[in-house]
Amino acid sequence: MIEELEFSDFPSVFICPISLEPMKDPVTLCTGQTYERSNILKWFSLGHYTCPTTMQELWDDSITPNKTLYHLIYSWFSQKYLHMKKRSEDVQGRVTELLDSLKKVKGQARVQVLKELQQVVAAHDSAKKTVVGEGGIGLILSLLGPFTSHAVGSEAIGILVNLTLDSESKTNLMQPAKISLMVDMLNEGTIETKINCIRLIELLIHAEDFDGGYVKRRERSEIASSLSLLVGLLRLVKDKRYPNGISAGLHLLKMICSYKQVRSLVVSIGAVSQLVELLPCLNSDCLESALSILDVLATLPEGQTALKDCLHTIPNLVRLLMRVSESCTQYALSILWVVCKLSPEECASVAVEAGLAAKLLLVIQSGCNPVLKQRSAELLKLCSLNYTAALFISKCKLTRTLQ
Amino acid sequence: MLSVVIIESMGLLCSRQQHFSESDAEKNAQAAEIERRIAHETKADKHIQKILLLGAGESGKSTIFKQIKLLFQTGFDEAELRSYMSVVHANVFQTIKILHDGSKELAQNGADFSNYVISTENKEIGEKLSEIGGRMDCPRLSKELAEDIETLWRDPAIQETYSRGNEFQVPDCAHYFMENLQRLSDLNYVPTKEDVLYARVRTTGVLEIQFSPVRESRKSGEVYRLLDVGGQRNERRKWIHLFEGVTAVIFCAALSEYDQMLFEDENKNRMMETKELFDWVLKQPCFEKTSFMLFLNKFDIFEKKVLNVPLNVCEWFKDYQPLGTGKQEIEHAYEFVKKKFEELYFQSTTPDHVDRVFKIYRTTALDQKLIKKTFKLVDETLRRRNLIDAGLL
Repeated sequence: MIEELEFSDFPSVFICPISLEPMKDPVTLCTGQTYERSNILKWFSLGHYTCPTTMQELWDDSITPNKTLYHLIYSWFSQKYLHMKKRSEDVQGRVTELLDSLKKVKGQARVQVLKELQQVVAAHDSAKKTVVGEGGIGLILSLLGPFTSHAVGSEAIGILVNLTLDSESKTNLMQPAKISLMVDMLNEGTIETKINCIRLIELLIHAEDFDGGYVKRRERSEIASSLSLLVGLLRLVKDKRYPNGISAGLHLLKMICSYKQVRSLVVSIGAVSQLVELLPCLNSDCLESALSILDVLATLPEGQTALKDCLHTIPNLVRLLMRVSESCTQYALSILWVVCKLSPEECASVAVEAGLAAKLLLVIQSGCNPVLKQRSAELLKLCSLNYTAALFISKCKLTRTLQ
Repeated sequence: MLSVVIIESMGLLCSRQQHFSESDAEKNAQAAEIERRIAHETKADKHIQKILLLGAGESGKSTIFKQIKLLFQTGFDEAELRSYMSVVHANVFQTIKILHDGSKELAQNGADFSNYVISTENKEIGEKLSEIGGRMDCPRLSKELAEDIETLWRDPAIQETYSRGNEFQVPDCAHYFMENLQRLSDLNYVPTKEDVLYARVRTTGVLEIQFSPVRESRKSGEVYRLLDVGGQRNERRKWIHLFEGVTAVIFCAALSEYDQMLFEDENKNRMMETKELFDWVLKQPCFEKTSFMLFLNKFDIFEKKVLNVPLNVCEWFKDYQPLGTGKQEIEHAYEFVKKKFEELYFQSTTPDHVDRVFKIYRTTALDQKLIKKTFKLVDETLRRRNLIDAGLL
């Protein structure tokens, strides 16, 4: 029973000074100090004849069961246990009530029921189990369709996001009308709703579970190639008011870019320049996602063109080298390589002006992996092609680096 | 009404100028009253949300307009229903004429021409009805005429022609009216709500209604003004005058028209025309902040057509790959068309306009329940948009 409870707020006198755990069989020594029986016996078996807390030598080796404390501990825990059980049953009862009324009510009342259910589910794990056990997921899914209002839809997905969805539920959620609904809510909802939609969509297009094979894959790539979704994600990613929105959006965008067919769509909506412009304000997690997306898009000719055409590509990327993490440096380098390879004359000078050479030297001298160093060396060579040695060295601001 | 008050009062003011001084006070009071009324109406006007119904000809705009009237106003009273009788009858005559003339055309060429030759006994009826249908003023549908029309309708040649209806300008209400001829020709016939919804008149000019949406069974405080326009090419030049201060555009596109040609230009595919029109509307500068609701309409006809007539007959849909048959295929075809419109939307929208609301709805304008549900969603979206714009959400 004691293990079942997660409390850490029990009275300090219940705690054994040796193990710092609540006592199940408290015994008192002649010094008046109380310990857990098994712990103090162990202490004695190690050859000590002192009281562990007072350090006094024991003049009497008797250990007296502390019946009072035992009863106190027992009744305290019993009370807590019963209280918790009751609350759990209350919660479960409430969930059942809510699910029942969900089957009957409509309009604003339905929104209220869903709101309360969402609060209960978010606060209690037992509620989640009850919802799943009583077919709540199927019920909530049945509320989602082409005529679902935003109010109902946003509360419903707020609940679903807290629950574990089985394969059948996921298939149900992948119906075009439901996906459209989620994409609409992603575009129009509050930041919480937007993030919930992102999490659910991520769950659906995550390619790791192979049940359904080809059919599922086609449906997943259909979802990923929704223009409304992509535009909505880009809009979210640019909204500086909500950093967790930015990271959620980038995460999904990255997942979407793993679908080859969708990549050119992503480029077509202007994602490249928007991501490049965003780079200076991102935190390190977001930077990795953003850079990996740009890296993937750079494999497409249209992506390369977009990168080259954006004025801030080179300066922003150069600035990131050796600044954040090895993987960021890797991505940035890879993208710079692609851009410079595309039009060496144009880009080389811009890059060098932006301080690329010095950075590359840093990479080469650092403890980065050899592949990275090799790349840097190649890029350095590419950029130095148009410069005389002296001019190039001066551009590298080498003396400063050496200092 | 306000303008009438002004004119009357102005007349009073002018005619009383040289009279007793007590009228000066009256004059001032009246002028103040007018000022107050103008200010009130201007203020009220600001809260009226203007919604425009746009789309090519026969896309369903007027049907939506009628539905909104039925849902949020007092609906059609008996006088208004009666007024549609001549329209319904005219539709009947027009339809049978189109089918008759069409069958004659098909009977002239082609390998299977014999299928379209009207049986001898019906030929005379056909000619008579064709003449009637061509008149500006169609007569009342009498029992005798209805019988004649029914006979001709059942003629195999006419049925064959009907199956190729997309090659002619056969209206969508054809089947409905032809199957109801008995009722329509009744002596005491008064059109039903459904008849009115099916009735087809080419809109010319602008029609307008004002209504308050019903939310949770209560009339809300907000007011919408809905405008219906003519969709044919010659009507579109009137559109531009209506484009200022529009809250939302409901653009109607008939899903089923992918294999039909324009009424005003028999060489132009209707879907291609809609595509170009939608593109043009989206690019209008005054619609920068306007919400766009795309109604993909006539789904009921689309459902039946798409399994028999492949989408690829329309150039815009030439890359369509059918998946299978049955309901799944219908859904797949619908999603394909929806995606095409979505693509078009984002292609025609500059990056700084991407923030405006854009939603697509699948509709069957004749289905009142569906339109009610759809409009509820439109209303919610517009209301949320207002709250967001006001910074309250």
